[in-house]
Amino acid sequence: MPPLLQFVVRRFLVVPISLFIITLVLYGGVMLTPPEARADLYMPSNLNQNLTEEQIANLREQIIGRYHLREPFPVQYFYWIKTLFDGTWGYSPSLNEEVLPSLLRRTPVTLELALYSMLFLVPLGMFSGVVAGWNRNGRFDKFFRGSAFLATSTPTFILALVLLSIFYINLGWFAPERVSLNVGLELSKESFKHYTGMLTVDSLLNGRWDIFGDVWKHLAMPVFTLSLYHWATLGRVARATVLNERRKEYVISARARGVAERSVVWKHVYRNVIAPSLTSMALSAASIITGVFVAEIIFDFNGVSNVIVDAMNGIPDAPAALGFAVYSVFMVLLLMFLLDVLQALFDPRVREGVLRA
Amino acid sequence: MRRLRHFFSRWQNWIAFLAILGFIYTAVAAPQISPDDPKRPGPFLRVGKATEGRPLPPDEKAPLGMLPHGQDVFHPLVWGARGALQFGLIVTFFTAIFGILYGALAGLIGGRSGGWMMNIADSFLAIPVIAGVVFLQQLWTTTITAMGGLYYTNQFGPVIEIVGPMTPIIWLFERFNPLMISLIFLSWMPYARIVHSIVILLVRSDFIQAARALGGSPWWVIRKHLIPNSLAPALVLAARDVGGVVLLQATFTFVGIGGDSIWGSMLAQGRNWVIGPGGSVLSYWWVFLPPTIAVMLFGVAWNMLGDGLSDALDPQSA
Repeated sequence: MPPLLQFVVRRFLVVPISLFIITLVLYGGVMLTPPEARADLYMPSNLNQNLTEEQIANLREQIIGRYHLREPFPVQYFYWIKTLFDGTWGYSPSLNEEVLPSLLRRTPVTLELALYSMLFLVPLGMFSGVVAGWNRNGRFDKFFRGSAFLATSTPTFILALVLLSIFYINLGWFAPERVSLNVGLELSKESFKHYTGMLTVDSLLNGRWDIFGDVWKHLAMPVFTLSLYHWATLGRVARATVLNERRKEYVISARARGVAERSVVWKHVYRNVIAPSLTSMALSAASIITGVFVAEIIFDFNGVSNVIVDAMNGIPDAPAALGFAVYSVFMVLLLMFLLDVLQALFDPRVREGVLRA
Repeated sequence: MRRLRHFFSRWQNWIAFLAILGFIYTAVAAPQISPDDPKRPGPFLRVGKATEGRPLPPDEKAPLGMLPHGQDVFHPLVWGARGALQFGLIVTFFTAIFGILYGALAGLIGGRSGGWMMNIADSFLAIPVIAGVVFLQQLWTTTITAMGGLYYTNQFGPVIEIVGPMTPIIWLFERFNPLMISLIFLSWMPYARIVHSIVILLVRSDFIQAARALGGSPWWVIRKHLIPNSLAPALVLAARDVGGVVLLQATFTFVGIGGDSIWGSMLAQGRNWVIGPGGSVLSYWWVFLPPTIAVMLFGVAWNMLGDGLSDALDPQSA
């Protein structure tokens, strides 16, 4: 088997195993609560007030029977596993709908946030890290180290507060929520076609530059909030690699041959910075996806994390919580996989390994 | 001794050391620095009128001003140090123990099974803490409700109201909140990874081979040889984590998803006065600055301590 394929297979085989372990533990937690309490979640909200105690108990028994709430743990767990394959991921009482559709409906929102954060931080992080490392202790390096320190020590929510205060309240440049009110009305009209669900793309496909501008007005702050920390970590990795690389002989030889400084950095050294940076990017991407909820909540985006946040103080809603966990594991692994492929594309050592087999 | 001298030869390490010492002092001496109101003990203290919606500037009653509704700023700031230290140390302690044992075991087993164990650890990275928190929060609610109590989160953090006697289970529920447990379960992987990488190198080394040849049981080898030898990097990680988990705790509390960070709650209460009126973040500086500086200094100090330790414990630098 080619190494890349082997790698992929191993990654994807491990996922079900760890998901199995985690969901088993989570589901075990649900089972600690009495079936009657869980049945209450499924009670219709417009319950007739005149029902007697006995009738309510009857109804509860019916619900317990219908949703298999009194079965032993492995059986209930098995029922949940089965829903993973029929495309519903179970019915969530607190969302009042099936889990997968409600996750998918919110996916474009979160995807936009995560995607643009990565697109923003990667070029910027690589550039500033390489430049800072190449001119060690220069003015830019000092500036970079200072701001990277500040960026990593500011918690995201405090950054978000400061941004809101400056750019929303004072300057009025950007705003929270996903779109402005009037644009929201535009979006619900027949004339606006939804292709991908990602408003930055859809607005362009519809030829609506005004909507495109408005969407960016709302995206700017959360994207910046999400990417600042990871910009600093990526930049540090790139900087450290450059510091390491620039002492090597190929750099000296390139210079001796009279290669222009710029192309020593961006052609010779840069290639060697990519591999370690990709690792750092993969970790950043994972942590942006698992941490996107902070921006979603503070900036009022109805993203994926809303699926579980609303049900905070309710009765354990296993399908929603478990579905959310499974979902974000999938997202992260997909990203990791893409970055691995990128790594193979950029790193001849990996690529050669692939080609040889 | 040489390591200690090396550690204290850098000014950053002095800052970290003094700041952490300061936090520990504040945490221990909190009842003396800012005594509780005997009628309403707790990290929050009301010194002004509850009906006062505006945060009032510092005066003689409140040396650092007030949050909205007459809440003192100084009192929770002091008690926040205690909460943060407790939370950070407890979470880091359990996380590190579990991660170190897991990594050492995986390294010792080695081969394919050890590799699988590390793959499983890796895939934990993809699971968001928030899923665990929400889930456990729901579990807490139900369990406590089933026991006849009440569990809810208000602006000061989670509240448990119970009728009847204190049972061990309730005691546990009060000590360990959902956020704490989720963080322990979902942040041990770096420890496992780092210990594992050292252990697989060690396992091949002669002295471990000798220990095994002498008939040492795996546990004995782990305890006597592997853990002491891989402790230094784990210690560095742990020092950074203490600050990291406290920042996370403040974040979770601020966005209203569990956790009982006192500093985070202060910012959540003053939120509308930080971003709202007055023209800038600093118009009501006593609402914004004290908890922000406390949280950030806490994170930075532990981070710097980690950097200092990693430098001092590195065998090549000493």
